Amino acid sequence: MMTRISFQTAAVLVLLVFISGCASGVRNPSGVPVTEMQADERGFVAGTGIESQDLVSVTDKMARSLVNTPEITDFPGTPRIALDPVINNTRFPIQQDIFLTRIRTLLNSRTRGKMRFLARERMDALRNERDMKRSGEFTSTSDPNIQEFKGADFFLTGKLDGQTTRTSAGTSDYVLYSFQLIDARTSEIIWEDFSELKKQGLEDASYR
Amino acid sequence: MPHRVIISVCLLLALMACGLGGCASSPARYRPPWTGNPIADGLHAVTNAPAKDRVLWQMITAKSALFQKKYDLAKNLLDDALLSIENRYGKDKEARKSRKLFQDESDKFFLGEPYERVMAYYYRGILYWMEGQPDNARACFRSAQLQDSDSENNDYRNDYVLMDYLDGLASLKLRASADSNYMRATNVARIAIPPPYQPADNVLVFADYGKGPTKYASGAYGEQLRFKEGRSSALEIKITSGNALLHLGPYDDLSFQANTRGGRVMDHVLANQAVFKSTTDAAGDVALMSGMVLAHGRNTQEVGLGLVAAGLVSKMFSAAATPDADTRDWDNLPQYLTFGTLSLPPGNHVMTLEYLDDSGSVIPSLTRTENIQVNPAPKDTVLYFSDTKD
Repeated sequence: MMTRISFQTAAVLVLLVFISGCASGVRNPSGVPVTEMQADERGFVAGTGIESQDLVSVTDKMARSLVNTPEITDFPGTPRIALDPVINNTRFPIQQDIFLTRIRTLLNSRTRGKMRFLARERMDALRNERDMKRSGEFTSTSDPNIQEFKGADFFLTGKLDGQTTRTSAGTSDYVLYSFQLIDARTSEIIWEDFSELKKQGLEDASYR
Repeated sequence: MPHRVIISVCLLLALMACGLGGCASSPARYRPPWTGNPIADGLHAVTNAPAKDRVLWQMITAKSALFQKKYDLAKNLLDDALLSIENRYGKDKEARKSRKLFQDESDKFFLGEPYERVMAYYYRGILYWMEGQPDNARACFRSAQLQDSDSENNDYRNDYVLMDYLDGLASLKLRASADSNYMRATNVARIAIPPPYQPADNVLVFADYGKGPTKYASGAYGEQLRFKEGRSSALEIKITSGNALLHLGPYDDLSFQANTRGGRVMDHVLANQAVFKSTTDAAGDVALMSGMVLAHGRNTQEVGLGLVAAGLVSKMFSAAATPDADTRDWDNLPQYLTFGTLSLPPGNHVMTLEYLDDSGSVIPSLTRTENIQVNPAPKDTVLYFSDTKD
């Protein structure tokens, strides 16, 4: 009788161990629900690279600085500005237009015509439209044979430089964001400003 | 009666040990259904494999896509993989768990060993250059070189020749200085010194060939991560297009890079786990043997049973410890990386690639002809060739 009980107990215990063992196996990750965040907010997914909050803070600062430049405020008439793509001299690939696009939209929306930006990246479509008007295929409200594409008074451009330190513990990245407004006639840099950010990241020991 | 009790206790504990040991072992590694199309299989794996293996499959599939000239697909896969690699900083629950005694190292998210991460950046750099973005390509080559900066031995840090060389060439194309890059590239060159830059050349040829290194686990419990040398029947590539001739030899050897990384922090963790496993196993053996002997004595039966139980518990812990090294690897990487430039007029050209063995003889099975289109200035034409088909 004792033997039967002990075997039954053993069997039940073994079953319990198996069941509990299997329950503690691989769990399906429940995931993280989509979280809406502000563009200038540091998210829970972060690296040491160039992120949206950097883009927002840098371009905000540049737009504020640029709009108060005497060469712009005292310019006779409305200055025409063309964008020249930012040069990326860091170790992070970037979308090259994004910095200047944000500066341009900030200035356009807040200064209301104090300066004009030239849509140089749309020139193919613009030339095509003009040619269609010249050929009479499209109607025109003005004489299409007159050259009306504006030349630039200034070029707005920038450069991102980086310096990286890496040890077995982690990585430190410094990025210098510098922007310039260049006089198209004289090549003088009439305005320049910068912003700098440093980030450090420590890797989990499992990846070192 | 005492014998029956002993037997039932032993049976119970042995079954518990088996159960615990069984639960400690990881599920079999995911294998996609093999259709013969590496891209379809790879994409199936990217979607269906466990999340911890997603980066691995993205890397493998991106390489297949590159070979098949499906550049947009390769770009998307590499971008996603690189996001995971770049954002690996900070607390990682899965990585922390993988260091625990009863967890496999391969339970952590795969981000690759440094040579694998280097290749992800390298391939993305090629794709950026193809798109006419040499500065973003340069950024990738810099990040690639950075992945190789924590080798145990100083001599093997940042020693990819092509990453510095290409960083310099991209800088020249962007009208910046490249002297220091060329100097670094020649300083770390072990196989061949790359030629001086020809910044006016408009055709950039990236090529890789051979079968790259593979990982295996060594040591009594598979706790040591080791790399098996890759192999390549070809040593050189001869490229001709009209009168233009380009000889490309290897500049970087991925097997060398994999093997010169040196110790990882994880190696120490796994070594400690192996010691635990071996000690608890040996202690279990001793306790079991002694317990069995003592259990037969009328006066020492209780002590004997206690020892048997302790021995089985010790064996249980030993069986449950998993010091196995993570051997998941990017298995379609090449052995050698090479690069060269040509000057060709814009338009359509026919290019012939001949792979030469170490005696300089052509390997006919690898010879192939490619129709290429050279872009009008100023956009460079970037070509990528590989002999790895899968």
